[in-house]
Amino acid sequence: MRLTARIALVAGVVAAAACPAAAQQAPIRIGASLSLTGSYAKLGSNQHEGYKLCERDVNVKGGLLGRKVEFVVYDDQSAPPTAVRLYEKLITEDKVDGVMGPYSSPVTEAAANVTEKYKKVMVSPLAATTSIFRKGRKYIFMVISPAEGYLEGLIDVAAKRGLKTVAVVNEDTLFSKAAASGALELAKKRGLHVVYQEAYPKGNTDFSALLTKVKSLNPDVIAAATYFDDAVALTRQMKELNVNPRMYGVTVGGDLPEFYDTLRQNAEYIYGATQWEPTLPYPGQKEFLDAYRKEFGHDPSYHSAAGYAGCLVYTEGVKRAGSLDSDRVREALLKLETRTMFGDYKVDADGFQLAHKMALFQWLDGKKYTVWPDELASAKTRFPTPPWNQR
Amino acid sequence: MLGQVVVSGILAGALYAMVALGLALIFGVMRVINIAHGPLLMLGAYTTFFIYQALGLNPYLTVPITMLVLFILGALLQRTLVYRVVDAPELSSLLLTFGISIALVNLAQLAFTSNLRTVEYVTGSYTLGPLAFSKSRLIAFVVAAALAGLVFLFLQRTRLGKAIRATSQSREVAMVCGVDVQRIHRITFGIAAALAGAGGALVSVIVAIQPEMGQIWTFKSFLVIVLGGAGNYPGALLGGVLLGLVEQLASLFLTTQLSEAVAYILLVLILLVRPTGLLGGRQT
Repeated sequence: MRLTARIALVAGVVAAAACPAAAQQAPIRIGASLSLTGSYAKLGSNQHEGYKLCERDVNVKGGLLGRKVEFVVYDDQSAPPTAVRLYEKLITEDKVDGVMGPYSSPVTEAAANVTEKYKKVMVSPLAATTSIFRKGRKYIFMVISPAEGYLEGLIDVAAKRGLKTVAVVNEDTLFSKAAASGALELAKKRGLHVVYQEAYPKGNTDFSALLTKVKSLNPDVIAAATYFDDAVALTRQMKELNVNPRMYGVTVGGDLPEFYDTLRQNAEYIYGATQWEPTLPYPGQKEFLDAYRKEFGHDPSYHSAAGYAGCLVYTEGVKRAGSLDSDRVREALLKLETRTMFGDYKVDADGFQLAHKMALFQWLDGKKYTVWPDELASAKTRFPTPPWNQR
Repeated sequence: MLGQVVVSGILAGALYAMVALGLALIFGVMRVINIAHGPLLMLGAYTTFFIYQALGLNPYLTVPITMLVLFILGALLQRTLVYRVVDAPELSSLLLTFGISIALVNLAQLAFTSNLRTVEYVTGSYTLGPLAFSKSRLIAFVVAAALAGLVFLFLQRTRLGKAIRATSQSREVAMVCGVDVQRIHRITFGIAAALAGAGGALVSVIVAIQPEMGQIWTFKSFLVIVLGGAGNYPGALLGGVLLGLVEQLASLFLTTQLSEAVAYILLVLILLVRPTGLLGGRQT
């Protein structure tokens, strides 16, 4: 982690030498801890790349308040207690000018206690748990859609298609529970009858009994609040037990290329929820993709995009406030309404995200096509889902 | 519905039984509870994955190779580390194998990253009337049952197997009779690791492979050998099938969330009522 900071510093110095106008003042230092090792390593690293690209782009465009921007990033090893220590260090020892959020809800939940204590604005691009933003915290801002909205598209399409019954299953963890309760509420609101609901423990990979019960109820829709492992296992066993709803959608995991690589033709027709796709027609999307691929040699994930967009939102807030003062930046971020390559940003008085929309995609011929909301759709839904042996 | 759930339970049970048999062997022979048993299964799954990826070999054909790799690894672990704690109090062996377990998982994370890997080979099922037999789980059942059977024959019939059982009954007497106990320990640990590896190979076709996939198998195997009677090898088979059935039936009649709880409540009850397990402990 030292090395990262040092490289950032060297890069800063080199860039500063080439650009004398912005070099006159010391750079604005933005601190963050990210999960660069540990169980979230891959996702945290993608977010890190988003931050790095944002740092570069902001500096290319003349910096912030006439000064260069420089990220100070440490590795929290995917552990909330480590993140707490690192944010303390960033704020009290390194005396950074601003902070950005870490990766994941649990780490953000822990780190937010520190940033609140020191009244530091923290735009948290990768925290989707509603409760983090409903605890009376004043300085934390949300960028992505909350967990409750993940299955909104699936339920909406089902209701429009005149489907009547839905089964909701979810992993028994914070995020999945929230996604399932959001789906239940939406289903009720849209007049769908919830015929079955069940949670299963984390790490469960045998769904025989659960699916046997679902099959006997024969619902039109199966809405599953999943991660990757369980999404794959659930799908495989649905095929094995010939459970064949008219629509079947998952939350997390279904958007990964590995999902299709693993399931091949069995992934066809499955719906999934996504915070962001490179194909969505948002402003600046192409520039972001090109720059990202060129810089890092691979495609961005939504974690990269959210990191980049979160950093843009923060710098926009600073620009509008004309200062780094927490309270003035906070005012500006509360008022800000903007659209980045990640989608819309607008928050309520708690900093809770209101404008960003989840998209619903469907796997069709090996590709993800956005099918909802209509204004972003790149294809029509293929409906209903045919029997397993005809996919 | 009930029939389907019983089928699923028995299919899962054979795999539990085979993997747990490895744990039972180590415990029976050395009185060591190998916490690293699940992570060994994880390494087996990775071995299959890399062979499958590099050579495009049918994952079921990798089972012998994976078992050989894990046998060597297991014997090495015994030779370098575990032999030091065989005579020590049980807490020492728990701590040591716990440490090995953490090391293996973290090394796997470093070497293989935590990216999810999958071996996609068979999907779908054979149907028999209203019952569906998942292809991948049915094959796992057959292979696991066959391997468990082979290990039994080996233990019952061969000279080496008899030496293992003798060591398990009384190390001193075995030694007096000229059995090289250290060698028996290495072979036992190797066989146990090979069984975990075979489990990993079979599981890799069913679920995604990642460094933390193994731990749950340590717990399940432990549950199985306590149910069946620690150190009692036929008991491990009974315990495996029993665990499979209990899990499935509990999720049918209660909820999937409670199925694990039910299995562990059963564990506590058996420890209270019949601490030697259903078939009694440590008979060979």
